Amino acid sequence: MNQHILTRHNVKKKGNGKQLIIFAPGFGCDQSVWNTVSKAFESDYKVVLFDYVGMGNSDASAFNREKYSTLDGYAQDVLDVCTALDVKGAIFVGHSVSSMIGMLASLRQPTYFSQLIMIGPSPCYLDDPPEYFGGFQKEDLIGLLDMMEKNFIGWANVFASTLVNSTAQPEVMQELEDRFCSTDPVIARQFAEACFFADNRQDLPHVTVPSLILQCSHDSIAPASVGRYIHQHIPQSTFKQMEATGHCPHMSHPDETVRLIHDYLVNKETGAISTDTGDIS
Amino acid sequence: MEKYWNHAPCGFLTLSYDGNLLSINQKLLDILDYNESELVNQHIDTVLARSTRLFFQFYFLPLILEKKQVEEMYITLLTKSGKELPILINASLQEQTIFCVIVPMTRRTEYENQVLTAKKEAEASKAKLEEALHTIEHKQKELAAVNRQNEAFKIETQKELQLAKKIQETLLTKPVQNKNIQIESYYKASKELSGDIYGFYRINQYQYGIIIMDVMGHGISSSMITMSLHSRFQKLITKGKTPQEIMQELDGHLHHLFHNHEEAWHYCTAIYLLIDTKQQRVEYVNAGHPPAIYQSPEGKQQELATTMLPIGSFHNINFPSEILEYEKGGRFFLYTDGVSEPLEPTGLLNLLHENVNTPPFEFKKRIIHDLSKASLHTDKQDDKCFIIVDLK
Repeated sequence: MNQHILTRHNVKKKGNGKQLIIFAPGFGCDQSVWNTVSKAFESDYKVVLFDYVGMGNSDASAFNREKYSTLDGYAQDVLDVCTALDVKGAIFVGHSVSSMIGMLASLRQPTYFSQLIMIGPSPCYLDDPPEYFGGFQKEDLIGLLDMMEKNFIGWANVFASTLVNSTAQPEVMQELEDRFCSTDPVIARQFAEACFFADNRQDLPHVTVPSLILQCSHDSIAPASVGRYIHQHIPQSTFKQMEATGHCPHMSHPDETVRLIHDYLVNKETGAISTDTGDIS
Repeated sequence: MEKYWNHAPCGFLTLSYDGNLLSINQKLLDILDYNESELVNQHIDTVLARSTRLFFQFYFLPLILEKKQVEEMYITLLTKSGKELPILINASLQEQTIFCVIVPMTRRTEYENQVLTAKKEAEASKAKLEEALHTIEHKQKELAAVNRQNEAFKIETQKELQLAKKIQETLLTKPVQNKNIQIESYYKASKELSGDIYGFYRINQYQYGIIIMDVMGHGISSSMITMSLHSRFQKLITKGKTPQEIMQELDGHLHHLFHNHEEAWHYCTAIYLLIDTKQQRVEYVNAGHPPAIYQSPEGKQQELATTMLPIGSFHNINFPSEILEYEKGGRFFLYTDGVSEPLEPTGLLNLLHENVNTPPFEFKKRIIHDLSKASLHTDKQDDKCFIIVDLK
């Protein structure tokens, strides 16, 4: 059973430490987005990487339209991986929508997690005026789905040309390229719908696991106001404004990302900062 | 060189990791309707449609940062006036700078949209088609089930009909042969059951009663009437009733059967011969039936033509009888129209004449032979029945 789950989610364990740190990829991509950041933790932690069903090298045949129609299905993936690894008190690092998936998992099994680290989180992407501005209107999100659909047409060509250019082990290269961001269009669309039409604002106050919110500058997906909203509503949360811009600091600014996570965890261990006085500069 | 790339037939720009615009060529500035100073050092989001901003973060940046290149990605830019401009973008990552080539594809997008719309329509049609196929399959299964039921019913009915046929045939009298008379008969239904019936009975030492009847139509309904008539005429004949009385009674019986049942009304043609071998004469009534034939030993023929209307046709009619004297060695031939009609045009009379000296059993076989030959040339099938009476 455990092996089945580990294979299904393409679970990879690396590193020498005892403390488990799980990296969960955001929407659209697989675990390879963590390549740089996760390597930095291998010396002190046991690093766990995985893919959601339908992403990367997971077992796409396990995809179930009903289960994955909401984020709960993906939270169940996280819990399945944790159970299979017999996890207790793990650090969960989630990018983008994975922050919310990790949070939902922690609400169901709080003991599995000791820290939730959220990079560019948003509890709700849609505007809900006058109190809440997620940054998007329904038409924007439908536009995104439309664009995904059109790009799936073109991507077949992208990967074909990559194959031609690759001299060493072309089959392996193709496998890696194919799986990186190009998932099955049906699965990708369903994940997109589950992510972008989710509203988890009501869940925030119930989070019991200490959380770090890493807020990028000029993040057009999860603006700073949204990050602050989460900080205000999750009881034991720390807010950290990053110098990194955009929505993917773990890829564009891996050094700062690593440093902030690392500092947070070290300070937590030593009790140097209290949980409710995060820097909201 | 800079002059060239400024006016190259494609847009060109460079980006920092953060997505800030580092440089942009004149061609793209023209397309987007901006001045260079308005865009350089601004974030790429400035010229991205809102949906593209999401897509850019979720797909473009991870791909370019992890794989160092992006090819043929479809996104939508925004011009200064807010007009959406669909483009294809190719990008590569070199020395921490993202190089992008941009090709507008307005017309191509229209085609793609049409293709996508057509695809969705085709998928919808396919779904409908599949549903229709599913329905047809379902109906076919239902039909197959009904057919199986029908087949079972048919087999059951066939069995019942065969049994009924046997019952009908048990009523038929056996050939008679003695020093005064020899009687042979033939009986064949067009379907399982026949609307013809006959009977011949020895009434006393010298008298024989011979009857042949044809109920209109054939098949089950006609056959049931023959059964009813049979039980009547058997009693009437063996009691020695006169031909007139017998026909009168059978006529009354039919009228009684269908009294108040107009829709079931059947009439019946019949001929009854009361043969007296001592007096060598025949008393007969022919109620609308094809004439019986008398043939003398010399081959002289005489028809026992219709004397009255068929029984069961009109109320309150009489059936007076006729008398015919015969010679020893003479032959009577009684039949239904199922026998006479197929043998036209040469006809029964010729056949009888040709076989004036043929013994009854042999003569019967010849008639059957001629009938089966004639049946090859027609689809019309009627009940067949005949009786040969040879007098000694």
